[in-house]
Amino acid sequence: MPATLRVSDPGAVWAVPDPGELALRIRLRAVRMVAPQGFGYLGQALSSAEQVAAVFAAARPGVDRIVCSPGHYIIGPFAAAAELGLIDLAGYGQNGSAFEAIGTERSPVVDYTCGSLGQGLSAALGFALADRFRGSDARIFTMISDGELEEGQVWEAALFAAHHRLDRLAVLLDANNSQVDGPVDSITTVEPIAAKWSAFGWRVWDLDGHDVSAVSAALAGASVRAGRPNMLVCRTSTRHGLDCLPPDADGHFIKLTPELAAAAIEELTGRLEAPGA
Amino acid sequence: MREPPYPTELKPYGRALVELARRRGEVLCLSGDLTKQTEVDLFQAEFPDRFIHGGMAEANMMSMAGALARCGHVPFVHTFGVFATRRPYDQIANAIAYPNLPVRIIGFMPGVSTPGGPSHQAIDDVALMRALPNMTVIDVADAVETRQVVAAIADVPGPAYVRLKRGEIPVIFDDSHVLRLGRASVVLAGTDVALFASGMMLAEALAAARVLGAHGVSVSVINVPVIKPLDSATVLSAAAGARLVVTAENHSIIGGLGSAVAETIAEAGLGRPLRRVGLRDTFAEGSLDAPYLFERYGLSISALVETIWSALGRPDPAPPVPTVAAEVGQYSPV
Repeated sequence: MPATLRVSDPGAVWAVPDPGELALRIRLRAVRMVAPQGFGYLGQALSSAEQVAAVFAAARPGVDRIVCSPGHYIIGPFAAAAELGLIDLAGYGQNGSAFEAIGTERSPVVDYTCGSLGQGLSAALGFALADRFRGSDARIFTMISDGELEEGQVWEAALFAAHHRLDRLAVLLDANNSQVDGPVDSITTVEPIAAKWSAFGWRVWDLDGHDVSAVSAALAGASVRAGRPNMLVCRTSTRHGLDCLPPDADGHFIKLTPELAAAAIEELTGRLEAPGA
Repeated sequence: MREPPYPTELKPYGRALVELARRRGEVLCLSGDLTKQTEVDLFQAEFPDRFIHGGMAEANMMSMAGALARCGHVPFVHTFGVFATRRPYDQIANAIAYPNLPVRIIGFMPGVSTPGGPSHQAIDDVALMRALPNMTVIDVADAVETRQVVAAIADVPGPAYVRLKRGEIPVIFDDSHVLRLGRASVVLAGTDVALFASGMMLAEALAAARVLGAHGVSVSVINVPVIKPLDSATVLSAAAGARLVVTAENHSIIGGLGSAVAETIAEAGLGRPLRRVGLRDTFAEGSLDAPYLFERYGLSISALVETIWSALGRPDPAPPVPTVAAEVGQYSPV
């Protein structure tokens, strides 16, 4: 597959037989991506692994779109695409690599990503309008984060999407309560998140974001058109699924020593190889 | 070219956009709650399905326009110049300029053409847009150029920002005038002074050149509708043929036409005295009318004449500028 591949490109092909296993593989792959640098956006992969896996399981290759609003989350879609054989991830985060740690215009796989936060939902609306113009029923799976709710543009987009009944939108909001300066709820009160989106006219699910079956079920529910955009508030943790992380690990930007990376790889490999994994 | 007072037209931009949209199905129109004011009520009436109310939400509107352009549309986005540039700057940078998408941002009410005060006066829009890689920046002079600019930018591969006067638009050029995006044009030839003007300042520059010419100062006037990419060949050749270089813009003297011309002649090693006429690093103010602001902030014909007169070292008082009365529906620069 070419390095410029996007999931919505005609000819894109993949299959996800087991989203739970893909989530585990995303975590393992993300550890291996971050390990050479010794630091990176591993916490974003850990909190969003089930959402990314469920999106790749639900998206129709070559038809539906994936928007990764926070560029810092691009590690998840990159890891998933590598696990599904869509890209060769050589050089992630290294000088000169097109696989930059914060998503850019060079980033393959997703239809849109941006390191300046709070803008991806608006891009998703643009895609939804374009799809409406051409009579397409493509879905737009859009990953956003709870920290992004502090940006006013997100709420401009929330109003617009509901007014225009952009019901092919399925937004997965990673509510991991993490931003650079600390827990989101120590910086700004964004709760009640679900009630806010509901009040804005969206159809809302509030669920355990690490329960991949629940995320998949909600995405299936959101595929039934109801004249309203769809919001999955996914309750997550930046430490989920990696027991060896120290309790004081900074979820926004995790430091991964060689010893910790080795322990993480051992833990995740063991879990993958365990019966019933 | 015509002589002042100039006849005026209403909605030359709005009519030109409708004409383009009739020929080009990919053209979309977005409006930020200023539909009549930006003349696109005409578009909305004829193509309601291709018209999108962005509402008072410029950030969202710019990001959506970028995504629509990715899908093959050519979105024309309309609001006042201040709201089109300052407020959604990061969105324009990331969602439009960096991916080099064919979004056309149309900002009305340039500089002190509005008495609406600093919140409504786009005095830095050219500077902001000029700093963005990939962006084409245009400030047209009259209705003839306004009519032509719409089709001219339709096929620019990347983004374009166009600032447009609102309301009655003077007709300065003859219908035979052709706007070419790559070209500045010498509209009046002279030997002493090269006077570069963009947008609303072309009318002022022509009037100033007339007054000075009657008093023995020969001024060439160069119309520079495209500030980026600047036609540096024409700028250098006009500057080389003069003793004094002057720029005139309805904008801050920082970052706009004056800066662009200064950079060009300095990099070419062309040593010429330079004077920049524009807002002198200041916000303006609210008022009853625009002519008051043109006088007060040094954008008048007199200000141009006095600037050139003193820069040439003439000891006697600058010649007076006769008033040209304008009837209702006519336009005369002050």
